[in-house]
Amino acid sequence: MTLQTFLFYVTALLTGVSALGVVVTQNIVRAATWLLFTLAGVAGIFFLLREEFVGATQLLVYVGGTLVLVVFGVMLTAQGPFINMKTSAAEWAISTAVGLLLYTVLALSVLASGPLATAPEGTGEITSASQLGLSLLGVKTGSINSYLLPFEIVSVHLLVVLIGAAYLARAKRRRGAAS
Amino acid sequence: MLDFENRPGFLFVIATLLPLASFVLLLLAGGLRNALRSCREESLGHNLYTMLGGDIPPRWPAYIATGAIALAFVLCLAGFITYTTEHAANEARHEELHEKIHELQHARLPAAERQKEIRAANEEIHRLEARWEGDIDWIRLFVGSASDQDRGTALKVGFRIDSLSAVMFVMVTLIASLIHLFSIGYMADEGQKMVEDHQVHGEQGHLHRRGRFGRFFMYLSLFCFSMLNLVLADNLFQIFVSWELVGICSYLLIGFYYERQSASNASNKAFITNRIGDAGFIIGLLIVWTFIGTFNFQSIFRQVRAPVEDAHEEPLKFAGDFVRLDPVNPNAAEVRGDGEHDALAPGERTLYFDKKGSEVLLWPRVLGHFHKEEVEGASIDVKKSPEKGDFGSMPYWMLVVAGLGIFLGCVGKSAQFPLQVWLPDAMEGPTPVSALIHAATMVAAGVYLVGRCYPLFTPEVRLVIAYTGAITLFVAATIAIVMRDIKKVLAYSTVSQLGYMMLALGVGGWVAGLFHLVTHAFFKALLFLGSGSVIHGCHHEQDMMKMGGLYPKMKITALTMLMGVLAISGVPGFSGWYSKDAVLASCLGFGVSHPEHMLLFLLPLVTAGITTFYMFRMWFLTFAGKPKDDHVHEHAHESPWVMTVPLIVLGFFSVTVAWGSPFSKEFYSGHFPFLNAESSALEHQIHHSQPEAVTQEFGLKQVDEKAKEVHGLAGNLALAMVVLGLTFAALLYYYQVLDPEEAKQQFPRVHAFLESKWYFDEVYSALLVRPAMVVAHWCKAVDGRGIDTVVDGSASTVVKVSRWDGLFDNRVIDGAVNLVADVCYGIGARLRGLQTGYLRSYVLFLVLAAVAIFALLSYYVASATAG
Amino acid sequence: MSGQIELTHCLLLGALLFVCGAVCMATKRNAIGVLMGVELVLNGATVNLVAFAHFNPAFAVEGQVFALFVIVMAAAEAAIALAIVLNFYNNHMTVDVDTAEELKG
Repeated sequence: MTLQTFLFYVTALLTGVSALGVVVTQNIVRAATWLLFTLAGVAGIFFLLREEFVGATQLLVYVGGTLVLVVFGVMLTAQGPFINMKTSAAEWAISTAVGLLLYTVLALSVLASGPLATAPEGTGEITSASQLGLSLLGVKTGSINSYLLPFEIVSVHLLVVLIGAAYLARAKRRRGAAS
Repeated sequence: MLDFENRPGFLFVIATLLPLASFVLLLLAGGLRNALRSCREESLGHNLYTMLGGDIPPRWPAYIATGAIALAFVLCLAGFITYTTEHAANEARHEELHEKIHELQHARLPAAERQKEIRAANEEIHRLEARWEGDIDWIRLFVGSASDQDRGTALKVGFRIDSLSAVMFVMVTLIASLIHLFSIGYMADEGQKMVEDHQVHGEQGHLHRRGRFGRFFMYLSLFCFSMLNLVLADNLFQIFVSWELVGICSYLLIGFYYERQSASNASNKAFITNRIGDAGFIIGLLIVWTFIGTFNFQSIFRQVRAPVEDAHEEPLKFAGDFVRLDPVNPNAAEVRGDGEHDALAPGERTLYFDKKGSEVLLWPRVLGHFHKEEVEGASIDVKKSPEKGDFGSMPYWMLVVAGLGIFLGCVGKSAQFPLQVWLPDAMEGPTPVSALIHAATMVAAGVYLVGRCYPLFTPEVRLVIAYTGAITLFVAATIAIVMRDIKKVLAYSTVSQLGYMMLALGVGGWVAGLFHLVTHAFFKALLFLGSGSVIHGCHHEQDMMKMGGLYPKMKITALTMLMGVLAISGVPGFSGWYSKDAVLASCLGFGVSHPEHMLLFLLPLVTAGITTFYMFRMWFLTFAGKPKDDHVHEHAHESPWVMTVPLIVLGFFSVTVAWGSPFSKEFYSGHFPFLNAESSALEHQIHHSQPEAVTQEFGLKQVDEKAKEVHGLAGNLALAMVVLGLTFAALLYYYQVLDPEEAKQQFPRVHAFLESKWYFDEVYSALLVRPAMVVAHWCKAVDGRGIDTVVDGSASTVVKVSRWDGLFDNRVIDGAVNLVADVCYGIGARLRGLQTGYLRSYVLFLVLAAVAIFALLSYYVASATAG
Repeated sequence: MSGQIELTHCLLLGALLFVCGAVCMATKRNAIGVLMGVELVLNGATVNLVAFAHFNPAFAVEGQVFALFVIVMAAAEAAIALAIVLNFYNNHMTVDVDTAEELKG
């Protein structure tokens, strides 16, 4: 077992446990913290898989952006201390059962198709960030396709989303509290 | 277009259209005025309404109508003078040109030059003819299969002036103008805002209604147009149209006081009686159209009557007569073995000449070059649908039926036996109407039409005409003796005189009949207007038994009426004398040549006496003797000048219209100047347009010659009867040597019989009206019991069925629909529980769905990879 | 177990994240919690994509590109979702998604 493998398993374990923590905890702030760990763990997995660019983006966008957004949301919608937002035990049971069922199915299908996708690590071309950038800028290098159009669409999409979010979240007079 | 110089016939056309224009104008003005009445309060409506006369009927319609007809008279007079002066010259020129063409055809000239000359001559002939006639297509029926496009395809509007129609034009327009003038006075009562009708009793006393001055003149104008158009027409169809227009005018004018039950009944009676006659007329028209294929008079006559000469001026044996043929050869024995007619074209038949044959030959419309021998041979080939130059044929009985049908129309319009019943009732109309329509013109239309269609009538039809006329004249004259109403006397005398005309036409006195028509129009109009003056003067009293002694009070009326009485009686020198002598001469001529029909002379002869008797009875009762009713006598007065002037003018014409022209030599040939019964200028004028058939047909020629021989005898006998009648009348009613009451008591049956008008109305009522009512009641019963039951039954069945249908609809169909809805609702209600509205549960379902999809996918992938 | 990182394990991790996200969405009544579940689900998908990119040379670039797209999409989604949540809070004075039950049948 190499260090890389070891680190992978450790990171994966931490990530899984954090994810479960997000599910299990009742406190929303705690859930946000667990989520932070999960996202960071996923970023770690990416680094371990030597996809540094994606990992960096994951950290930047998720951990640095999305999570901050979530925390803002939590603070803006802070609840009073006596509000009960717990789910009933029966629902918990059902949800857990269904979750386990889904996981079983997924795991089984992954395991069943396991050999199909086992390629020796490192045989593939190592793709550098610059290659990725060129692909996104529409430059075709070797066998790599160009993703300029999706990239542009995503950019525009982001812009629209920002405008839309700003519109939706803007301060409005509350309904029913007229004058 | 209106080139009177070259086409003077248009004078008459314009004269015809003038009253139409007046009618349209009055109709529009009257309609506008009535339409404005509702908004007369508003300013614009008020102004217009006042302009059109306001509440009080305006006077100007009378002036427009009178002006139109007077102008028409002037035009007609101009046309008449033109026609008369150029007639002889034209005839001569016509003849000359024909001769010239004939000569040119055989002349030794270069062909081109000859053609040119012939064309020039033909053009001149055409121009001469076009002066007095013309036509335009009205409706053209395109019959796809007709091989001959000219036959039976065009209804035309046209005019053709001959001396008869010229005379008629002048007569009609003159009398109509005078009657218009008279009406202005007579109808003055209608010019009030409100007219009280003393003969109509409503709940609040007498009826009060608005005056109808304008309407009366509007109707008169329409009538004048119709009558003139009838005279103008050159074809049967146009005549038929005018005929019906005349009928409707008569209907409108008889029913002018339509609030009166009697007037409304009389107008219905007149109209329905006329319809019977018109049904016959239509049958005649259809037969003519089917077999002869045209309505134009000249064209019809050219086809049914033989020409006078062949192309080489050889006289034909049957010139101007009907040529009868038979499919069976009467001389079969002689011609047997003659196989040369084998090659006949399809639609062609060989007919043989036979005096009693069942078919009559139709001559080609355009008669080409033909020889006497060709058409007088033993047989002739005719075509079923003849082209322009082909011979055709039609069944003889069809021709007879056509003649009888057309005559039936004339019977209706001229009030002949057995359709005479409407005319006396028509006296319900205003008196000028009686004078214009029911004495001078409309009833004359029947006689005129008989005269126009004369060549179409076979001898059998003419005999029917003669007997109809004879019966009519006698019956009507006898009834006139006992009538008490002054207008009824005149009405029956009209019927009787029309009978004379028909009789004359029937026996072959074509000129005599139409001559009498013209003279009678004048003196009958005079008599009617005179009676109108009397009635007007006596405040609408019509019973002669209440009059008497009116002479000193109404001298002009009395004297002019006396002229009319003398004229109608046939006193020498008066117009009636000329015409009645001519009629009687024709009758006697016929009687002499056909002794078995001597009755046709005796009846009119006796009736001549009766006529004198009742006319003088009327005059004596009205004007002579002592006043019988003081009330009437006291209030009697002479009429205003608008009424007396027409009387004087008509009186003048009643006396002089038939006089000989001082420029002709006949005028001086009698014992006294103008006392020669044969010297009448009018008679000669009419004689010009006598159809060729009359001069050529053997039977008619014979009667005509005989009539000339016996003219004097007939005249003398008639004169004797007149004297006899006059004597009786004077004895009974003037000197009162004999008491009419006594005579009445001595012959109560006869008197009652005559008083009830030979029970015609009763017989018709019993024979026609009652059965019709009975049948109508039956029909009503069938309708009420039978048909209504069926209808009601079916209706209730339908109701029942629909009730069942409704149940089915409600229960079954709605049930099914509701069931589906209920099931859907139930399912929805149960499924509703799944929709918790909680986000969680939706996510759960999503996950479950994902699991299911994965399971399915893996199953299929597994089975696919395994397989 | 070999000394290499195996694709299967990566996929199992992705599946775990996905299932955790789904269960989180199913159990949380707090709208922000639900939003976190969504992030988890998306992360699971990203892990899968990156794993494929790593282990299959044919997808080397595509996997990463799509992973990047997913991340960006997630960011966008988070922004929108938070805006919606704020609106929801403005209207309901709570972030309890059970109060939004207008769709209840």
